[in-house]
Amino acid sequence: MSVSDEKEKSIFRYLSEYDRRIIYFLLFIVVVGPLISPIAMPISVSPDSKQYYDVLRTLGSNDIVLTVLDTEFSGYMELQSGVIASTRMIIEKESKMAVAISHPEATIIPDILFGALKDLMDAHHYTYGDSYLVLGYIYQNEASVASSAEDFQGFVRQDWQGRPIKGTFLEQVRSWKDISLIVSHTTGILSGSVMNHFALRGTRMIVNCIGGMIPGQKTYLNTGILKAVLPAMRGGAELESLIGIRGLGTKAMDAFTLGHYMLIAFIIIGNIGYFGYARPRAQKARTGG
Amino acid sequence: MSAFFKSREVILTAAGLAFVATFVPYFVTIPELSVISTKLVTITALVNAFTLALAVHSQFMRGMYFVRRRSRGWILKAYMMVTIVLMVIFATMGQDKGPYNWVMLAIVNPLSSVNYGILAFYMASTCARAFRARNMKALLFLAAGFIVLFYQAPLTGSIFPGIEPVALYLTDTFAMAITRTFTMSVTLGAIIFGARVLMGKQPQVLGLGGE
Amino acid sequence: MPDIIELSIVVVGAFLAMCMFSTLYGKSSPMYALAEESYLGFATGLTIVVNVLYLYNTGIVGIRAGDWVLSFGFLLGFMIVVRIFPKYSYISRIPIAITLGSGLGLGLRTTIFTGFLDQIRGTIIQLFSGSAKTLLYQWTIAICVLFTLPFFLYTVELKGPLGWVAKIGEYLMYISFGASFAQTFMGRLGLFVGFMQYYTVPDWKIPILVLSMIIVLALIVALDKTNLLARLTPEE
Repeated sequence: MSVSDEKEKSIFRYLSEYDRRIIYFLLFIVVVGPLISPIAMPISVSPDSKQYYDVLRTLGSNDIVLTVLDTEFSGYMELQSGVIASTRMIIEKESKMAVAISHPEATIIPDILFGALKDLMDAHHYTYGDSYLVLGYIYQNEASVASSAEDFQGFVRQDWQGRPIKGTFLEQVRSWKDISLIVSHTTGILSGSVMNHFALRGTRMIVNCIGGMIPGQKTYLNTGILKAVLPAMRGGAELESLIGIRGLGTKAMDAFTLGHYMLIAFIIIGNIGYFGYARPRAQKARTGG
Repeated sequence: MSAFFKSREVILTAAGLAFVATFVPYFVTIPELSVISTKLVTITALVNAFTLALAVHSQFMRGMYFVRRRSRGWILKAYMMVTIVLMVIFATMGQDKGPYNWVMLAIVNPLSSVNYGILAFYMASTCARAFRARNMKALLFLAAGFIVLFYQAPLTGSIFPGIEPVALYLTDTFAMAITRTFTMSVTLGAIIFGARVLMGKQPQVLGLGGE
Repeated sequence: MPDIIELSIVVVGAFLAMCMFSTLYGKSSPMYALAEESYLGFATGLTIVVNVLYLYNTGIVGIRAGDWVLSFGFLLGFMIVVRIFPKYSYISRIPIAITLGSGLGLGLRTTIFTGFLDQIRGTIIQLFSGSAKTLLYQWTIAICVLFTLPFFLYTVELKGPLGWVAKIGEYLMYISFGASFAQTFMGRLGLFVGFMQYYTVPDWKIPILVLSMIIVLALIVALDKTNLLARLTPEE
């Protein structure tokens, strides 16, 4: 091999071989910076978010909504804007709501969620027992989901505090037929099972999912099994925009935007380094020149 | 007695009957069978919950291994086992407030969030270091990626509305179609695998290949 | 201003979170090990608690209400737990067979439709009706699906027309992977942004977050420079 083993000092070499901790540090800065000091960049609304919003708008006070928190607490960090905005719409429509959970870490989310919406709930007289119930961790596996879809009363007898559901609005729910809408906030734990045992049979179902799940959920949206898909944190921000509030999602969009631009910039930088240094060096090594 | 539990025919029969009891009533309405199916499904849900005991046992065994050997950092393994017991004790003191709630908010939730949040860094680093336009395929990959990345940044959509139809076309057709292909293949694979298990051609799954 | 409980939650949470982030430094550290073991221990304890409650609410309450059939669930469950004792682990085979069989029945009876038949129907219907945009979308989807399916044929050699279809499908797959990676990155970024929002809203949390970052970074650099990092990091 006749290529010199000594690496030449050049800007292209640096762009090709920089320490990856620079990426980590800059990502921290571009995310934390706008969160501390918001820029308030404008956001557009995608057709998917509009579709999700339109489904929620059809709810009425006689409807029973099953909200499934199918997420770890980490996933809730991404989905929270959509969760809060969706729940806000359900409360404003004064529909009845049951909250089911499929991961132990999510058992604390109802407290956080209803704590954030306390004022709205007071304004609409949305009270525990009459308007909503928290069933807790009832969806441990697919069999639990299937059991609740076929024989709801036989599977769910009390809420998470041990109070019987007899005498509440859930007494009229016998099976999947009696649920008006399922709103699944999911990172993919049991959303497939909920879809298979409820939506496939005919229960309307909409999904608020994390980014990596979007292509998969779109296949079910395309077949008509799902009625709408809210795409991750950006979808949550768009939903907030549609209902006219400036919530957590909207405030996060500055960081979101800069994070995306940062990644694009680094990919371009990496390619400049590749074409300016790494590729010619590899070609020289192959030709022995 | 042990011969009964180890018998291949008994095990395959149990699996087959359970399969038929849950599969057939979905398509054929026989009231008695529907009742059996519903009860069997609830029983299955309960049995699955017990498997957690095996995971906890493994966790403790692994921790004890490090503690007994006095490996470097064994104190942290002992700490881990103590925290498992502590959390169970805290739960008996009430889950609304108190130490259980404190641990959830101060330890479990933040660390769970970081567990997944840290992936953003790894993904950014991987993308920046590995994505090179080496050939036509890589160029197509990067072009599609750039368009969708630009669109996903909310500011771009409001400044250049024309990017939306292009990005949505890429995500709602190409990305969705390939995912559909994977879904169909995986489903077919799952069906075939299930059939092989029930026919006894995958003995290891049912524990028939020895403990 | 926050009360002492809320303050302690944020201080401990921010410190442990930064300890976990210390893995980005590039080397294992005792701080990361502390965060990891804390999460492992407390999360396992949480799972035990929640699952016991689940068994009580679904099983015990049901049995008390007269649904005695559910006691079989407990019987089979204990039989599975016997697996802990290798000498008697054969007892767990029957409950495993029953749960596997019913799980297969539950999964396959619906996945056949959602994962296969409905997907085929969604691909081929609406190819000849609808607006120009719908037709463009549907034909693109149909062509992509058809051209990428040959990749999953493992028993047929991809040559001739099938080979050409697979070759074009490869290019279509790369376009799709590009779009998918962008959406996946959006998801990962959202997870991180959401987490950082938790520690920057309200404002009083920001100094705690920044201080935790500085302390952990200083600790890890100091340990690294004094060659104590490897010595204090637990064995895996």
